[in-house]
Amino acid sequence: MIDTGQILVNSLVTSSLYLLAGTGLTLTYGLSRFPNFAYAEFITIGAYCGLFFLAKPGGFFLLALVLGFLIAALVGASSYSLVFRPLVERKTSLIHLMVASIALGYVLRHSIGEGWGWATKSYQLMWPVYNIGHVRITLLWIILIATAVLAAVVLHFFLTRTRTGKAIRAIASNPDLASVTGINKQRVILLTWSFGAGLAAMAGVFRAADTRLSPMLGWDILLPIFAITMLGGIGSFYGLIVAALILGLAENFGVVLLSGIGLSTEYRMAIAFLILIGVLVIRPKGLAR
Amino acid sequence: MYLLDTLVFMGIFALLSMSLNVEYGYTGLGNFGKVAFFMAGAYAYAVTAALGWPVYLSLVMAALIAGALGAVVSLPALRLREDYLAIVTLSFGEILRIFVKAEQWLAGGVWGKTVPSAFAGLGLSPKTMAWANVLLVWAILAGVFLFLHLLMNTPYGRVLRGIREDDVAVQVLGKSLVSYKAQALMVGSAIAGVAGGLFAQYIRFIDPYMFLPLVTFLVWVMLILGGPANHWGALIGALIVEFFNRGSRIVKDYIALPFDPHNVQFVLFGLLIIFLLLYRPYGLFREKPMRTGAEVEVSKWQSSP
Repeated sequence: MIDTGQILVNSLVTSSLYLLAGTGLTLTYGLSRFPNFAYAEFITIGAYCGLFFLAKPGGFFLLALVLGFLIAALVGASSYSLVFRPLVERKTSLIHLMVASIALGYVLRHSIGEGWGWATKSYQLMWPVYNIGHVRITLLWIILIATAVLAAVVLHFFLTRTRTGKAIRAIASNPDLASVTGINKQRVILLTWSFGAGLAAMAGVFRAADTRLSPMLGWDILLPIFAITMLGGIGSFYGLIVAALILGLAENFGVVLLSGIGLSTEYRMAIAFLILIGVLVIRPKGLAR
Repeated sequence: MYLLDTLVFMGIFALLSMSLNVEYGYTGLGNFGKVAFFMAGAYAYAVTAALGWPVYLSLVMAALIAGALGAVVSLPALRLREDYLAIVTLSFGEILRIFVKAEQWLAGGVWGKTVPSAFAGLGLSPKTMAWANVLLVWAILAGVFLFLHLLMNTPYGRVLRGIREDDVAVQVLGKSLVSYKAQALMVGSAIAGVAGGLFAQYIRFIDPYMFLPLVTFLVWVMLILGGPANHWGALIGALIVEFFNRGSRIVKDYIALPFDPHNVQFVLFGLLIIFLLLYRPYGLFREKPMRTGAEVEVSKWQSSP
């Protein structure tokens, strides 16, 4: 039997995860104008930072989130200032920037593989399960949804009410004009890279808590994250929210549909791919622009 | 045997590196899903060879299927900026792997598929068989090398380079960008497909886990190290990288180290790429100037008194 309520809850969980994971990607993509494929590893780093607190029972989940955020923010900031900023200053081509980001991804991923091994691990955490009518929801999911909503609200006020937030939008829409008006571009970009990586790391902690950890954790959800970045429109945070909701619904209803017509549920990823191709064919600018 | 085995793999990877050279080196297209077309070729070979097709037909099929996929998959992204193509090809690499895993009837899914060797039934000893494989792979590599070398010095090759340097100028000359880009990806993917077919028949068993994005990354390391838009660069880059790639595996098997050489190798490759892009983006070998009929005429004029 198909329980619509349960699917809606599952969709909301998926959307929240993608939203947290995608925010930094779309903002840095909009500012720096190239996709950072090493972004997958920012997510993974968060998940493995969580292990410091959650490898044994009785750890504090909140501490894992905070540590993941801080470490990934540091990695994000240093990867921008050590790798990408020097490349941008040398007027490196777009393809070279993407190759560099993939190379950085391998450096980070295999460092994680060296440090923690390639075998899957899991957090020692038990989450209480609540049943509301037919619908099953865990405390982890509630925290995840609340975090995503909170992040969205905070970011909304940040982008519209603060000078730095306005500067981010200004640079994304017209970098030259922004420079002329005296915005410190480098400071704003660096801040966005570290903040975005931090949010991605939090998504990684949630993903690891909900499933398992492996050095491929981030890479495995990179495709849906790129799909919502494109669907929402590169650089648009509001577009991303709508896109994350759409993909969350599409994936969870899609999975039910897939098993209904006898196809493997492994095709979950293919749904994101179809959306990605659809966006490129019909509306490459995405929803928001 | 280790040496012969390494030679076969070097040849296969050199084919991949030269195929990326057509797309990226000459035409300026970033294909980040090379492994997908390699995989398509390998499975096309495996399926057709299992049906009893002769070797050359299976290889042609591998080239056709991979080539067709290369053109079709990239079409939605070709009118857009380079990053769209990168994301689409990279995603396609993931999707094709999922497809093969899920569709067990096609080629065994996660359990893989055995592939008949090209030299089965000839009663060759393992050593002779290895030599036969080296000859087969390197003969095809030599053919591809020559073909690409000639192709890139024709007017057609100049259009491809033109797209890389200045696509507006090419459009002004009345050439269709999308059509040429799709053709470049078709040629590149077809070569990758042949490499996949050769790979499948050589190792005689394939499963989806052999076709991870790692392969794509290795091919990029080869080309960036060797030098884009230079056939010798693509070849030498493949030889060097595959030498280290094999070497790290042998070291892993025979020497106890406090770290995993496989991990360290990829960390070093990653750092190498970043370093090269910062300080030597043209790699070991630079692109040579084009040879045209006009150039020959000019040199005649210059040398005559």
